[in-house]
Amino acid sequence: MNELKHLKHLSAVKANTGIKFLTPAASPGSHCPMRMASVIVENVRGLSSLLVGMPECATHSRLFNPKPEGNHGELHWLYVLDSHEVVFGCREGLMAALREMDKAGAKAILMIVTCVPELIGEDMEGILHEVQPELSARVTFVTLAQFKNVSYPPGLWRTMEAVGTLMNDGETDASRINVLGRAPEEDHIPLPSLLPALMQRGLALRYLAPGASLQDFLNAPDAALNLVVSPFMQPLAVKMNQEFGVPYIALNNHYDVESIDRAYEDIANLFGFSWGNAFAEERQKALALEEQAQEQFSGLRYILSPRIDMPVALAVYLAGLGMEPLLLHLEDCYPEDRTHVKRLISLGYDPLVCRMVNAAADVPLLATLKPDICFGYLPAAKTIPCVPDMFDFYGQIGYDRTSNLLSRSLGVLDDRGLSAKKRRSRHGAAPV
Amino acid sequence: MGLHRFKPLPSGRMGILWTLATIRDAALIEFGCMGHMLYSGVTLKRAGVYDACRLYSTHIDETDIALGSTKRLNDTIAAVSRRDKPRVIFLLPSSIPEVIGTDIFALCEELQPAYPDVRLLPFGFGGFDVSQHRGVQEALLLLAEALPLSISRTPQPTFNIIGSCADLFRFQADAGELVRIIKGALGMKPLCVLTSDTAVTDIENLGGAHINLVIRREGELAAKHLREHFGTPYLAGRPYGIDGTISWLEDIAQISGLTANAAFLNAERELARQQLSSAMPSFRHIVHAHPEEAVLSLGGHTDVVRGILSFGCGELALVKGSCWCDCPDMGDADIPYFSEDEWTKVLQDHKKGYLMASGEALAWAGRNLELQISNPDTKWRLHPYEPPLVGFRGAVQLAKLWINENAGGL
Repeated sequence: MNELKHLKHLSAVKANTGIKFLTPAASPGSHCPMRMASVIVENVRGLSSLLVGMPECATHSRLFNPKPEGNHGELHWLYVLDSHEVVFGCREGLMAALREMDKAGAKAILMIVTCVPELIGEDMEGILHEVQPELSARVTFVTLAQFKNVSYPPGLWRTMEAVGTLMNDGETDASRINVLGRAPEEDHIPLPSLLPALMQRGLALRYLAPGASLQDFLNAPDAALNLVVSPFMQPLAVKMNQEFGVPYIALNNHYDVESIDRAYEDIANLFGFSWGNAFAEERQKALALEEQAQEQFSGLRYILSPRIDMPVALAVYLAGLGMEPLLLHLEDCYPEDRTHVKRLISLGYDPLVCRMVNAAADVPLLATLKPDICFGYLPAAKTIPCVPDMFDFYGQIGYDRTSNLLSRSLGVLDDRGLSAKKRRSRHGAAPV
Repeated sequence: MGLHRFKPLPSGRMGILWTLATIRDAALIEFGCMGHMLYSGVTLKRAGVYDACRLYSTHIDETDIALGSTKRLNDTIAAVSRRDKPRVIFLLPSSIPEVIGTDIFALCEELQPAYPDVRLLPFGFGGFDVSQHRGVQEALLLLAEALPLSISRTPQPTFNIIGSCADLFRFQADAGELVRIIKGALGMKPLCVLTSDTAVTDIENLGGAHINLVIRREGELAAKHLREHFGTPYLAGRPYGIDGTISWLEDIAQISGLTANAAFLNAERELARQQLSSAMPSFRHIVHAHPEEAVLSLGGHTDVVRGILSFGCGELALVKGSCWCDCPDMGDADIPYFSEDEWTKVLQDHKKGYLMASGEALAWAGRNLELQISNPDTKWRLHPYEPPLVGFRGAVQLAKLWINENAGGL
């Protein structure tokens, strides 16, 4: 197909630059990583921020972090480069700005560095090295130029990594678990059943995500385990493992019942207890749905569109159910994607990958692939059955997430008359 | 520029974008990272701009930067011209091409022959020391220079409005009131409302108007060009207050050689006075007995500030407080430019009276957001049906806001 010949197959993509736009002319395009960093800093109690960039970045960041001061003394200020600084650098100005924020009472400052300061090669580490000894506030930075980080995910995981650089080493509390990716006061994402089950076994959970306090982040290395429930927190877990030796178990990538069994078992072994029948009912439900899905999904060809947390991990799971990936929209190349890519290829699938940045132009092109189903956000694509709102599963883990995903997908197939039973009745009996 | 607590002065690039983004039958392509255009689009939608210029970004990555590649721009122009078939494609560099020195003008010249049905119109003034107002000015001028066709004046009297752009607070409602009162008082129809309510064809017909009405000083260069090219006279000013509006309409009548419709003017004046009548004793009492509560402080575009000040202090005898403008190039002794350190102090010190400024400033200070007269905005507008601040209806609206402020919301 001529319009797709510029795309690469998954096996050929080694970095973000290998993910080509499905069609040119971004409209509206992908979110800037600066957006996510701005959202995060507004929601970490005690953390101040300094956005460094041009008037556009400074202005647009106020869409996401509108107030210059937070409720607990945080400062969210902006540093805008002038024409002189674009040429000669903003070292002096930035150091003066940090001194001023320090004087104004900032406790810790995250500098969010956008395109132009990164393009001109401003040495942020050098600036910090020079100015930090003068300051009471601890300062760190995250570089988020969109010309390097095409979409929003690095704005989340790199920002969380940067917050990690502020952490203090501490004595390990054998009964403490950090839950990476869930806020302490979470009222939107259902509570995964694993978490109260851990508390019932005497373990203390510390929730770390936007919504937590800086102090909780600073104390995090004292935990005996990092439990990852969001893909955006996994790089921080890896970093904490390297820096502080805190082991981690990532649950967000496990969809199939067997993998979930193993991950839950690993947790139990680490703390020396047995789950018994704690999850028997939900596990049984997930198993039954998996069997049903295996029967109904097998042989279906699908595409993954935007707004899916970990598309390659999902593709691996769907491959296990006998589904064939035609094309995957990848928002970002996560470090941990390499494992999932290898796994998918080993299962015999090497789909095209792309970045969808113009739904109006992309949808007709996707239709020419004649997928049976699409997972993700696909506006105005009436001809392609779609499992929408995949972000609903963000922060969810375990057997329940698998059941919910499968129920929703089976429902879509049934509504569109695509279930195996209906396909058979449409085309005659399947051969035995 | 340096350290800011609030939104900084927007760049020239942003001024150009806000000026062009409302033009129908056109597309706008920004050569740069796509986040810029995504959030500009969000801002425009919040301001009530829809179904206008199609907004696109090429995006740009580190390989493009390292190799100086402009292939994405070529591809985007090709895709947009094929799919949308716009009359004109505006091309705008973002900050990165400005740093690496991409010559967008040369590129357009090179590509134009391949697109005989689409005009490629590049815009510059993306430099790092160019502010929003200069961007608006240059965009209006380039539109007036590049697109108008050589046409004769319309048989019936017509007018253009120059300078109604999406960066001004309540720009659509204000333009609507101007069109209404000119039609009523002078029987003139608008040819082009540049740029808040216009299509490419309307801009091509700019030269047919009998008068150009420049409602912000950034439009004056464009008006001068049109005067030179088509001989069209222009009037610069924004009509505020009852007397101010009548005077403005009479000026238009005089320049256009028309006679204003006395019946319309009288009816509008009487209606506005009747609507104000119940509040006037209160205003007189406040000015006489509580002059500190009659202080009018204003911050925003200099032409808006001057206009509202002339109505408040000239027609209602309010007392001028601290007044400032939002552009360093436009400040003078009467209405100086205030940096954020200066205007935040005004907001903190302003204890009594009326304080009208940007939504961002009022929200920060915990003041009455109804008294917003300038941007940055903090609200979603979505539609153009809010009351205007100019014209007869604007006069009553302003008085309503002030009297309610005195009443403390009771």
